[in-house]
Amino acid sequence: MRNFTYAAPRNVAEAVRLAGQPGARFIAGGTDLLNLMRDGAQSHGAIIDINGLALGDIVQRNGVIRIGALARMSDVAAHPAVRRSLPVVSEALLNSASPQVRNMAAVGGNVLQRTRCGYFRDSGTTCNKKTPGTGCPALEGENRGHAILGGSDHCLAVHPSDLAVALLAVDAVVLTDRRRFPFADLHVVPGTTPDQETVLGHGELITGFEIPVTPLAARSRYLKLRDRATFEFAVVSVAAALAMRGNTVRDVRLTFGGVATKPWRSPEAEDALRGKPLTTTTITEAGRALVRGAVTRDHNAFKVDLVQRALDGLLRDLGGAR
Amino acid sequence: MTVGQPVERVDGRAKVTGAARYAADRTLPGMLYCHLVMGTIARGRVTAVDTTAARAVPGVVEVFTHENAPRLTSEQHFMPLQGNQIHYNGQIVAITVATTLEQAQEAAELVRVTYAPETPKAVIADALAEVYLPANQEVIVGDPAAGLAAAEVTVKQNYSSPPHHHNPIEPHATVAQWDGDRLTVHETTQGVVNAQRTFATAFAIPQTNVRVLAPYLGGGFGCKSPVWPHSLLNAAIARQLGRPAKMVLARSQMYSIVSHRAEFWQQLTLGAKRDGTLTALVHVSTQQLSRTSENMYSHSISSRMLYACPNIHTRQQGVRLDVPTSRFMRSPQMASHFGLETALDELSYELGVDPVELRRRNYTDVNPTTGERFSSRFLLECYNLGADAFGWSRRNPKPGSTKDGHEFVGWGMATEAHDHSASPSSAMVRMAADGTVLSQTATQDIGTGTYTVFTQVVAEALGVPLNQVKVELADTNFPAAALSAGSGTIASVTGAVNAAASAVRTAVVQLAVSNPASPLHGLPAEQIITQHGYLFSPDRSRRESYRAVMARHGSPVQNTSTMTNARGYSTGAVFVEVRVDPRYGRVRVTRGVGAYDAGRVMNRKTARSQMIGGFTWGIGNALMEHTVLDRRTARVVNPNLSTYLLAVNADVPDIQAIFVDKPDPVSTALGARGFGETPITGVPAAIGNAIFHATGRRIRDLPFTQDKLLRELLTQ
Repeated sequence: MRNFTYAAPRNVAEAVRLAGQPGARFIAGGTDLLNLMRDGAQSHGAIIDINGLALGDIVQRNGVIRIGALARMSDVAAHPAVRRSLPVVSEALLNSASPQVRNMAAVGGNVLQRTRCGYFRDSGTTCNKKTPGTGCPALEGENRGHAILGGSDHCLAVHPSDLAVALLAVDAVVLTDRRRFPFADLHVVPGTTPDQETVLGHGELITGFEIPVTPLAARSRYLKLRDRATFEFAVVSVAAALAMRGNTVRDVRLTFGGVATKPWRSPEAEDALRGKPLTTTTITEAGRALVRGAVTRDHNAFKVDLVQRALDGLLRDLGGAR
Repeated sequence: MTVGQPVERVDGRAKVTGAARYAADRTLPGMLYCHLVMGTIARGRVTAVDTTAARAVPGVVEVFTHENAPRLTSEQHFMPLQGNQIHYNGQIVAITVATTLEQAQEAAELVRVTYAPETPKAVIADALAEVYLPANQEVIVGDPAAGLAAAEVTVKQNYSSPPHHHNPIEPHATVAQWDGDRLTVHETTQGVVNAQRTFATAFAIPQTNVRVLAPYLGGGFGCKSPVWPHSLLNAAIARQLGRPAKMVLARSQMYSIVSHRAEFWQQLTLGAKRDGTLTALVHVSTQQLSRTSENMYSHSISSRMLYACPNIHTRQQGVRLDVPTSRFMRSPQMASHFGLETALDELSYELGVDPVELRRRNYTDVNPTTGERFSSRFLLECYNLGADAFGWSRRNPKPGSTKDGHEFVGWGMATEAHDHSASPSSAMVRMAADGTVLSQTATQDIGTGTYTVFTQVVAEALGVPLNQVKVELADTNFPAAALSAGSGTIASVTGAVNAAASAVRTAVVQLAVSNPASPLHGLPAEQIITQHGYLFSPDRSRRESYRAVMARHGSPVQNTSTMTNARGYSTGAVFVEVRVDPRYGRVRVTRGVGAYDAGRVMNRKTARSQMIGGFTWGIGNALMEHTVLDRRTARVVNPNLSTYLLAVNADVPDIQAIFVDKPDPVSTALGARGFGETPITGVPAAIGNAIFHATGRRIRDLPFTQDKLLRELLTQ
């Protein structure tokens, strides 16, 4: 770990001002950033500790649930309004990390956590995300955990956040110190600049999320498949929100983790279901639509099948398909 | 009687309160901190090391590279920093030394190394043409070809398992302090005596000039058995700079310089009669070796010792790769055992014979390789006890026959077996004038319960309460004793502890009966009963406390004894239930029962803990655990506990441990045998066998991850 300066601002304005200096980084729970720094995968000259800011509230008002960026994962998962109106958010959080990590980690940082790609986290290996232009060893290397959607010739790294997949499924809005925008716009695919993971400007601070309370979001679930029972990132995951009218799918959100370079929404898969009955045929068609653009590598082709199975299983559980 | 009881750990409180001080907790005045810089190529040489920026970090005292590092040789290991040659990825290429840890770490990040790299070979598959048979790695019993020709049924299959890393929770740490030519080292070691010898040899000083201490260890599993080059370098730096020096490894550094379990390929050929009797067992394996060593550690002992078979052929091949040297990792025989126990399951289906019954039919009291009779073997009892507790008789043998909701339910079993080491050991027991007892021996408690068991042994031999006994371990100032490896601690050292305590008892009894001031005066010494801290007459009408006898004597009574024990072989049977969700290829282990013959059980609680630990590790081994090497660079891609997956609580079901608990008559350790490495050996095969029973699909490559199971299910 390299030496750094430390500051603990008292308000958002001060935090944003401090973060404007070159090499500055916000820290909240620190459950990811500290590991990256200790492993030598990242170094930051200035650490701006935002835990003293008043951004931890979870409130429901006027049909909107607002979650402060500093709310801890465990608090959000257990909050009655979240459990009632946004079950997919609660489930995604409870399927994340461990109780100890969830007690530390803040939701604002959660959606900005860095990929678990072993090459990215190894200070002794090249990586376009870490150091642009050095090359991506995952393309021809150990890519079992890597993306089949949204990748490029520069990067295949999967975005690891479960919460982000859930927020994407419930039409969340991102609030920052300077603007608000749809959660769907927060993350970007790597393209030729895999070091750019979000649209946030340098020093821009996520202050919270707003999520509309809707019947769609209230009927939502999260399915996470992984290599051990808990405390592990997704091999594939699916968040689904489903509104039925009789036997017909009135509206649906389908978002995915573990398979893509950013939290992945599939409008094609949703279109395959919207306005149609939920049957084996339509679910299969939705799965096919999801993976139509998938690009596989040496070790991750199984995800094409597995993510469709996960979608199938979750929709049947959620919608009672015939 | 305290031996055998489920006595709680006497060191438990110190450990959970933080009072126990581990090697990394040692901080000495003037101490320097060393931090390693690890190489990033697997083969080639270092062409330049730029230490300018590192040296500019405040507090940095020195930066060592191959050009200026202390010259050292190791009898056991390739010693880095002695030249520019690179033999594996993650080799030590520099060491920064500073007055604080943070300074040393920052400097380490600033060392710039340039290389002339060559293309490495990382996996067996890339070097099949270079597979060879090292000396003394082939055993042939009887006539295997004739045995196969005589077989009515033959199973021939290939199995494979990946490299594994030990990952004890406590990282390696070493603190060295010189006083003239005398060296004291706080070392995370499974063997202080072995470490003392290694340090003395490296620095060409008398062994008595070296003191090594390791009173507490946060697990070892074999990767703390040897003294690794980094510890010798740390001590050499301390000597050269004239100040104490400390080095603690980062987790990622433990994936290249403290060994691992080798990648392992194997082919099993079993020939059998229709009734299941084995006619031939041919076991050919290939394991990874390194460029600097052809030692191999995953031995086919099970194939040579476990079952009655007149014709056995084991051939242990190796292939040199550009990876670090492998070494013992908990239960080194489990790699080959996985193949044998899976092949037997396959044979059971070929024959239509129940897997337990097949093993019963091939049971032997005699070592099939040497013809020697086992001193005691209650494996048949283990099959019966385990099967009964599990409810095995209710098993429908047809694969895929049981479904619960979405999940297929499968039951599988395997024999468990591992040999254990034994080496001559000494122990001292001293009763002080106040009647309290101290026992010292230079073996270790690596987390297994040695402190507790020896406290029980001493208390029982003397007839005093447990709280009157204090046991001290792992200091080379104590009598020399065994390495805590190869399941050998209890088997090796118990006899000496018991003998020393018994000798003290005899001496104290003699003090009482020979002294007119004692109420026991004149009684025959051999008739005295000792219990609860008292000496009693045979009819218990007269008594005197140890404390009273010792107070009158006025000085301690002490004995040091030495004992040797025989190596042994502890066996058992493990039964597991799995549930497989065919929608996702997801496997859960939902039940586990193991029954074991470990000789006499010294402490039912610590023995059960060993079993639970082994079973849990076996789940990880079966379902998730593996080291991922990038085939092009021979570099570990998952060198941390976030991506090197071990079973967590949610993966572990209720586990039942059953012990036959009959003393082995030849064991000098009060009838106990070594046991720690037995209860993991069969678990991966038992889980694979249960998956087959659940689904009718066989996976022969560990671990059984979702992608592999899905592939099998899709080819249905």
